[in-house]
Amino acid sequence: MNLTQQVINGLVLGHAYALVAIGWTLLLGVARLVNFGHGQMYMLGAFVTWWAVARAGMPYALALPVAMAVGALFGLVMQRVMLKATFEQNLVSIMIMTLGFGYVLHGGAALVFGSTGQILETALSRNEITLGPLWLTWQDAAIIVAAIVVFASLKWVLDGTRVGRLVRMVAEDPRLAMLAGVNVRRVYYGVFAFEGAAVAFAAGMVAPRTPILTSMGFEEVIMTFVVVVLGGIGSVTGSYVAGVALGLFTALFGALVSPAYTTAAAFLVLITVLVMRPRGLSAGPGAGAH
Amino acid sequence: MTARRLRSLALPLVGLLVFVAPTVLGGSGSVYSAAVLIAIFAVMAYGLDVIVSDLGEVSLAHTVFFAVGSYTAAWLSTKAGAGAWLTLAASIGMALLFAAVIGLVTLRLREFVFSLVTYAVAVVAMSVAANWAFIGGSDGLRGVPMLDLSIAGLPLTARNDRELWPYAFGLLAIALYLVDRFRHSRLGAAAIMTHLNPRLATMSGIDPARVRLQVFLFSAPISAAAGWLYAYQRAYVSADVLENYFLILMLTAVVLVGRRQLLGPLAATALVLLQEKFFSLGGYVDKIVLGSVLIVVLAFFPHGLMGLAQPVRQIVRRLFKSREPSQPAMTTVENPK
Amino acid sequence: MSDATSAAVLQVRNLRVAYAGNRAVDLQSLDVARGEVVGVVGANGAGKSTLVNGLAGWSRGEPRVSGEVRLGVERVDAWPTHERIRAGLLLVPEGRLVFGRMSVEENLSTAFAPQTAPGRRVYTRDEIYELFPRLAERCRHLGSQLSGGERQMLGIGRALMMGPRVLLLDEPSIGLAPKLVSQVLETMRTLARAGLAILLVEQNVRAALEVVDRLVLLERGRVVLEGPAAQVGNDPRIAQAYLGATAA
Repeated sequence: MNLTQQVINGLVLGHAYALVAIGWTLLLGVARLVNFGHGQMYMLGAFVTWWAVARAGMPYALALPVAMAVGALFGLVMQRVMLKATFEQNLVSIMIMTLGFGYVLHGGAALVFGSTGQILETALSRNEITLGPLWLTWQDAAIIVAAIVVFASLKWVLDGTRVGRLVRMVAEDPRLAMLAGVNVRRVYYGVFAFEGAAVAFAAGMVAPRTPILTSMGFEEVIMTFVVVVLGGIGSVTGSYVAGVALGLFTALFGALVSPAYTTAAAFLVLITVLVMRPRGLSAGPGAGAH
Repeated sequence: MTARRLRSLALPLVGLLVFVAPTVLGGSGSVYSAAVLIAIFAVMAYGLDVIVSDLGEVSLAHTVFFAVGSYTAAWLSTKAGAGAWLTLAASIGMALLFAAVIGLVTLRLREFVFSLVTYAVAVVAMSVAANWAFIGGSDGLRGVPMLDLSIAGLPLTARNDRELWPYAFGLLAIALYLVDRFRHSRLGAAAIMTHLNPRLATMSGIDPARVRLQVFLFSAPISAAAGWLYAYQRAYVSADVLENYFLILMLTAVVLVGRRQLLGPLAATALVLLQEKFFSLGGYVDKIVLGSVLIVVLAFFPHGLMGLAQPVRQIVRRLFKSREPSQPAMTTVENPK
Repeated sequence: MSDATSAAVLQVRNLRVAYAGNRAVDLQSLDVARGEVVGVVGANGAGKSTLVNGLAGWSRGEPRVSGEVRLGVERVDAWPTHERIRAGLLLVPEGRLVFGRMSVEENLSTAFAPQTAPGRRVYTRDEIYELFPRLAERCRHLGSQLSGGERQMLGIGRALMMGPRVLLLDEPSIGLAPKLVSQVLETMRTLARAGLAILLVEQNVRAALEVVDRLVLLERGRVVLEGPAAQVGNDPRIAQAYLGATAA
């Protein structure tokens, strides 16, 4: 087994994890919302992209925004339903409702797209880059670039723009933000729409790597938990680092130990960290969107 | 005093009605099958009910306890030829072991981190169950024998759902009794206190971590016992006992009627299963229905169906108190409108 | 202030705030005019904070709020908090004043910038620094590093940058050194002179009497005494209970 190849795989996988987790990182950091439907929203994004490319004949570059729009719309609907619970910070209800949304999405997607597996192929995923004995697809390279661009842009928006400041105000203290004239409700909507669009974009980018099924999403949601908790809840930079580290870990674990139990292994890492540091590696909840 | 006497009279009567209900409803195989499944799934939900309603945490690992019960029963009966009493004891023992491990690991975790980890436990358990050849891997464990609880010459067997019904009913009655006892016990009171006012609980000499662990250990065997009977009812067990369906069903059962209503989870499970068995709209649409019910109840009827009765009660009260001066109409000004 | 009602920029009528059926505030009428400082005093739990929070739509929990609140000619009692704020009904609450993870400078820039409207003076950041030089010195420090007095200045500064028409101040003197108390209250006087309407909740009655035009005494959510500062200050109910005087 070529170690360098595994490191490349790990980097691709890690950027994929980080990209899938980004929406949830912001959602948790800003609105303290936990989205157990995240995995099914990933599934939805993958299938809408697949449908747009394979059935509607759209170019991939157009299919991605279509999937993002559908994801954002679904996010807005979720936030509308959960708005009262969000303001009350009724986490029990929110968590159960998001599980319900994921379940509805699963049933709905199976109804619309069927329960057979599909392959999402793009021009990028068909072509490989080879460097001597090493290889990766253009899709893999695009995932890395997309993840870096998305993380850098988000960081810039949060730290350097007016919108970012509004988001950080709500993240730190929604009630004080109201007194500064912020429409907190709109920020919550915006953050959930971002979650929907971001996970759909991630799905459109990452899903071509594997066959897609309407029953998928569980592995993605666990990996997202690990990334978000290890990175420090709500921390954008932390999520990126944690995502890449997790990718390297799972690639090496899969190659050296067992590919079937990578999710279990990642979960054990999460448990170990949580038992030692119950609040994650960073400042913990309320650390805001920094 | 009269209320209590009424209750002690009403309960056996309701029990009797429920027990003969499948016969009254035609007594066909599908009716008995539905009745048995309602009882099993309701018991499964009661395990989660005490965690969500009393302790106020959302454990998403209760499908694992259910699966542990099923797998233990199936494995021991098919691989070691163990009898049903032994598998029951083993199922409960294994559930306690799992609950102790999960409980200890998550002891210091709260709120959503606790839920994240328990959810992760469930997802990982599914991938382990589907891959581990020792417990059948993706094929699962087939050929679970019929339920045989015969003691010393007294034959107690169940070959089909009709014969299984008394045992399912008995299990349900035991679960109801346990949950009721729990709610009237010191532990139950401590759980509620830890849930509603952790600071006061600590000042009253309650150790919240200890209470959480104890409630966890109390609840897991209930869900596991349901899984145990489910293995005999289905005669085979595979990784699908860990599917999200069971989780969503349990959660719906807990919230649909209202928290801390003793018969709530039973009624809710019955509603859901009756819809799925007799008014099914196809598997996928049923999923959408079940998920939507869960969402709608939490978003719009936070007190469950019992909350719906509240306005009716108020109207009745107003009718009888019509002489009281009517209050000026008040508008609720919420913070974010 | 005989024509206070006609010139009042804040008009409150029949305001009731009730938690779970218990009436926390029951106020028949309250007016604050431009250039006027009205003090609200009373014991702990008299409903002072409930009153100002209710006026800003910022109540804790979900009380039932009824009654009429007018800002100028507009009725605002059904508006969400942020819209009342944007219209110039500004609350500087007790305690919750700064974003701890933002610098002083950034805290000031969190202020909503209103469109310039007649009768609204929008302070610039430099003017705030001029008013509170201490903030200028600490402009790079994080909100969490500030002292109680500095937080108070920052909270007031942010409100001024949003172009207040009415300023609701909830216990600005709490936790402040005596010297700072008089400084903050003196600032209120200055701002009122510049045309602002101020409703000042104070526990420190003696200090409040120095700056307010009128004083309202709340007991169990109801007004039990109201009048010009000079007159109310001599009232035995105030003198005995809040000023520690044994004889008038």
